[in-house]
Amino acid sequence: MNLGKVVEILEAKVFSGEEKLGDLEIERVGAADMMSDVLAFAKPGMLLITGLNTPQVVRTASIVGIAAVVVVRKKTIPDETVQAGKMFGIPLLHSPLAMYTACGRLYRESLKDINSF
Amino acid sequence: MKPTVDKLIDQMQSLFKDLVAGDIMVPNVVSISPDRTMEQAKELMRLKKISGLPVVDAEKLVGLVSIEDIIKALEQHKILEKIAHHMSCRLVVIHPEENLPQIFEKFTRHGFGRFPVVDSQQKLVGIITKEDILRSILEEFRVLYVRDKRRTDVLDGDDVHRSLITGEEINKLGADFAFAVDYVEVSLSGIGAARLKEFLLSKNLGEEIARKVAIATYEAETNVVIHSGSPGNIYCFLYPDSVRVRVEDHGKGIEDLEIAMQEGYSTASDQVREMGFGAGMGISNMRRYSDKMVMVSEVGKGVILEMEFFRTQPTA
Repeated sequence: MNLGKVVEILEAKVFSGEEKLGDLEIERVGAADMMSDVLAFAKPGMLLITGLNTPQVVRTASIVGIAAVVVVRKKTIPDETVQAGKMFGIPLLHSPLAMYTACGRLYRESLKDINSF
Repeated sequence: MKPTVDKLIDQMQSLFKDLVAGDIMVPNVVSISPDRTMEQAKELMRLKKISGLPVVDAEKLVGLVSIEDIIKALEQHKILEKIAHHMSCRLVVIHPEENLPQIFEKFTRHGFGRFPVVDSQQKLVGIITKEDILRSILEEFRVLYVRDKRRTDVLDGDDVHRSLITGEEINKLGADFAFAVDYVEVSLSGIGAARLKEFLLSKNLGEEIARKVAIATYEAETNVVIHSGSPGNIYCFLYPDSVRVRVEDHGKGIEDLEIAMQEGYSTASDQVREMGFGAGMGISNMRRYSDKMVMVSEVGKGVILEMEFFRTQPTA
């Protein structure tokens, strides 16, 4: 599924990386709030759903090779995070849905978790 | 026995106390049914290059075929007969929760080269050879905690310019990559690691190793920012078959490394936790992603950490 479709399903607003919406294919999704969990278990190319909206999220994503980040639970994504997203070329989405619902909707569309084949 | 030796043994035991058969064993064992012939067992052992084959009937371990059993069957011209009649039924097994001393005891007492591991329902779950034990112990030693003179030398003295891993001299000024962690804002943590990743990619080391190095360095960098209360430095050295990263700070130090190394243990503040750090996974993540890691520290004298990552892909 391309990122544009993810935006639609999650009723998300795009803060950076609009140009990638059509091309970026997402197959795997993970959700985490602890950066160390992301560092430990994330797979390259996955979509990350998180309750964090600091620039750290973007740096962490860049280091482990996360394709795009969806921020949930927070009201918005702060400017410095958006700047970091632009700098590292990582699309940032903001969804008003609860983390559980966001995960559930993507799961229903047959997106996989980090461990399945 | 001298008290110091006692102490050492205590420490060694605590190092290995969590090591149980379940961790040491090789799972997914090749096995055979008792209805098959000895000839088939012989072929399977030859193909898999193993000298002992567990015999399993309805998921339960019922016997073991050894090379000796095969030879006997050959000599008596019974190689085409069923395994059930020729396997060794006098089984000595290990249970997954048995610890290292218990396992050693069985190896010494019975002198077999391998022991099947079965659960409480007598179901075969793995096999343990002496090589497996050695491998597991070496794995535990991968993180060396040096609680001896060497630590004082490194933290107080001239040894600051020696590698913790190899002992050879290192020239920090000649590092292939250097980054000063001179900020205290947790929100800035990871900048050094991200730069290091870019650097490694620019040297064509490959995405896989660049990612491993960057993740482990990110955790180390974050520890400097959250815990040291001092500036720190990241150095990276490229060698033909490995990448070595050294992270130093001169801050508070770690009181008890053994506790600090436990997954889930953290002294981080709530503010740090809100930012997604302080889960107590930093050091275990460094272990997870590095091939070798040595850390020395003393209260008030900072932390020096060295990690080595083996290069899997040749330099382009």
